[in-house]
Amino acid sequence: MKIAFIGQPNAGKSTIFNGLAGYKTMTANFPGQTVHYTVSKVKVGDETFEIVDLPGIYSLTAIDMAELESRKYILSGQADVVINVIDASTLSRSLELTLQLTELQVPMVICLNMIDEARRKGIEINSEKLSQIFGVPVIETVANKGIGLDAIFVSAKQAYHKRLIPKIQPFHKDIEEKIEEIEQIITDEFLRNIPRRYMAVKLLEGDRELFEEIEKFPEIIEKIKTIREEIKKTHGRHADTVISSERHALTMNIFEDVAKVGQPLKSFRERIDDLLTNKYLGYPLLFLILFGIFFIVFEVGKIIEEPITDAFDSLSQKLPGFIEENTLLYFIVKGLIEGFSGGVGVAIPYLIPFFIGLTVLEDIGYLPRMAFLMDTIMHRIGLHGKSILPFVVSYGCNVPGVMATRILESPRDRFITATLSVLIPCAARTTVIFGLIGAYIGGLAAAGLYLFNLFVIMILGAVLTKFIPEVTPGLIMEIPPLRMPALKNVFMKTWLRLKDFMLVAWPLLIISSITLSFLEYLKIDLILNKIFAPLVSLVLGLPEQTGITLLFGILRKELSMIMLFQAMHTTELNTVMTDLQLIVYTIFTIFYIPCVGTMGVLLKELGFKRMILISGLTIVIALILAVISRIILSMVI
Amino acid sequence: MKTLLDINNGKRVKILKISGGRGIRQHLQCLGIHIGDIVTLKKSSFLGGPVLLEVNGFDVALGRGVASKIEVEELE
Repeated sequence: MKIAFIGQPNAGKSTIFNGLAGYKTMTANFPGQTVHYTVSKVKVGDETFEIVDLPGIYSLTAIDMAELESRKYILSGQADVVINVIDASTLSRSLELTLQLTELQVPMVICLNMIDEARRKGIEINSEKLSQIFGVPVIETVANKGIGLDAIFVSAKQAYHKRLIPKIQPFHKDIEEKIEEIEQIITDEFLRNIPRRYMAVKLLEGDRELFEEIEKFPEIIEKIKTIREEIKKTHGRHADTVISSERHALTMNIFEDVAKVGQPLKSFRERIDDLLTNKYLGYPLLFLILFGIFFIVFEVGKIIEEPITDAFDSLSQKLPGFIEENTLLYFIVKGLIEGFSGGVGVAIPYLIPFFIGLTVLEDIGYLPRMAFLMDTIMHRIGLHGKSILPFVVSYGCNVPGVMATRILESPRDRFITATLSVLIPCAARTTVIFGLIGAYIGGLAAAGLYLFNLFVIMILGAVLTKFIPEVTPGLIMEIPPLRMPALKNVFMKTWLRLKDFMLVAWPLLIISSITLSFLEYLKIDLILNKIFAPLVSLVLGLPEQTGITLLFGILRKELSMIMLFQAMHTTELNTVMTDLQLIVYTIFTIFYIPCVGTMGVLLKELGFKRMILISGLTIVIALILAVISRIILSMVI
Repeated sequence: MKTLLDINNGKRVKILKISGGRGIRQHLQCLGIHIGDIVTLKKSSFLGGPVLLEVNGFDVALGRGVASKIEVEELE
């Protein structure tokens, strides 16, 4: 049996999914976190269920890419049962989606999630009555505490075997007549397997995607346009507004039937929320929060890093005592140790605290508030507040950052946001900044580099906006309530992110390290360095040996630094490179070409041409910035 | 005609009209914001920032461009 979870953004679908399937998807307290769907098999007793976690959608009228994906999945008719997950604290609005789901005529279960939050808001829901109205099972859950989840499979089975298809709630008579009129003119050829009523209502609403498809049937489209015009004349509003108001009125009636609204508990959270989004205090708090996270990451990372790298260093130094120097085996073991220590000693100490910090911010629900605060500033670079979410995620890793651009409505915003996102120093580049600048020059210089990076991104954003002028309406975004992050969730999510690093990046690091060692043994590194010498030594003013490390950085950015230790044959880089060289090297590493993983996701999300365009652009920017900083800093230092 | 931008913090208003194209209209409708809804303006951030609204028990941030297209009537 195939069960699909569908609901409005941030209703807790992924949390429920994770509760049932073990930890498989990322959850966060901001709308639109799930950008692609996850499928998992779960065995209960001797029955296997296939469960699907779909991106949240506000309605079946798709506004952004993630929504379109959910809609396509449901319409494909693959799901045997649909679980409509509802944030009980926003029941009246959530029911609007439920009404649309009834039109799909698939067995359904309504799951009232976050029932505790609703009670806090003073909303008491009579689920039995709700169940009577729609004719489907209604269950109550508190997913983040695991309450009520066991009822899901039971109800899903019941809905499936008894074919509990939700009852359609009719609109006013005059609208129903128009819907019937359209139902009669749609041909089976156009309908395929999509329910007739759903199609008729969506056409009446003037759904953009369906209208494009129906272009091929000119006689149908003409009739629908006439009907839309008639409604506009009799109601004085656009047909889509009329349908939406009808639906709204229906949900309000149902809401009044099933819910009692009492006094909300004026909570401590609201006072904190007030402070976080305060006109004046919000900004210093934003700065403090972000600065605090980086400070903690740096301080904690340093404490963990030092003993580990020291241990590996002494091991490398003792190596000639075990294996004869300059043999192939010696080079391979040396590469292995260096790659291994790169992962444990450099990346992990900084990654773990950063992931914990990001997860806590996500789960509390601070990110949408950041979007609210930053909207004005983002407008200066031709974007709106929502773009801040991909940016913040990009500080962890550019790959999910680029994927997060799906929450943006216009392709133009997606392109600009993705371009700027890949310039944001991800955790890998953060290790380079901390490992080279932080360690040898100082924390202040490292912080300065972040500000410099932000400055460059702002300028580039402003320039890009000049070329692709703004046509988007601006920010429209739900701000979910603040939530206490569940400790288990924070650890599981940090682990999930870390696992990704350990399974993909770390082996790559070790293999590359051994490869470099091997190249060194064959003396091929010298040839490669010679090829890059004009660029590396003349333009950037770096030691010739660094050429090959920049090449490896394309695989993963922190490889550059780890390879640098290896290429320069020391972990005391300040003895072989000047401060100026370290800064130029780091700046170039931060900006030039996204790593392979990011290029892959750019290709998938934006297409080949844009991926090449963005990658090329980053190389040009990196070269310009590295040269400028070389010239300017050489006068200062 | 007053728009959301002309309203002081903490005031309750009724939405009279949503001008602007189908994109904005549908987006707001999907989020559960309709003509006739009564909303509370919770706060506006400064320097041309967005406004924060409470609608039917949840909060929505609207950029100034969007807010200027929503015509309202003050209550009380």
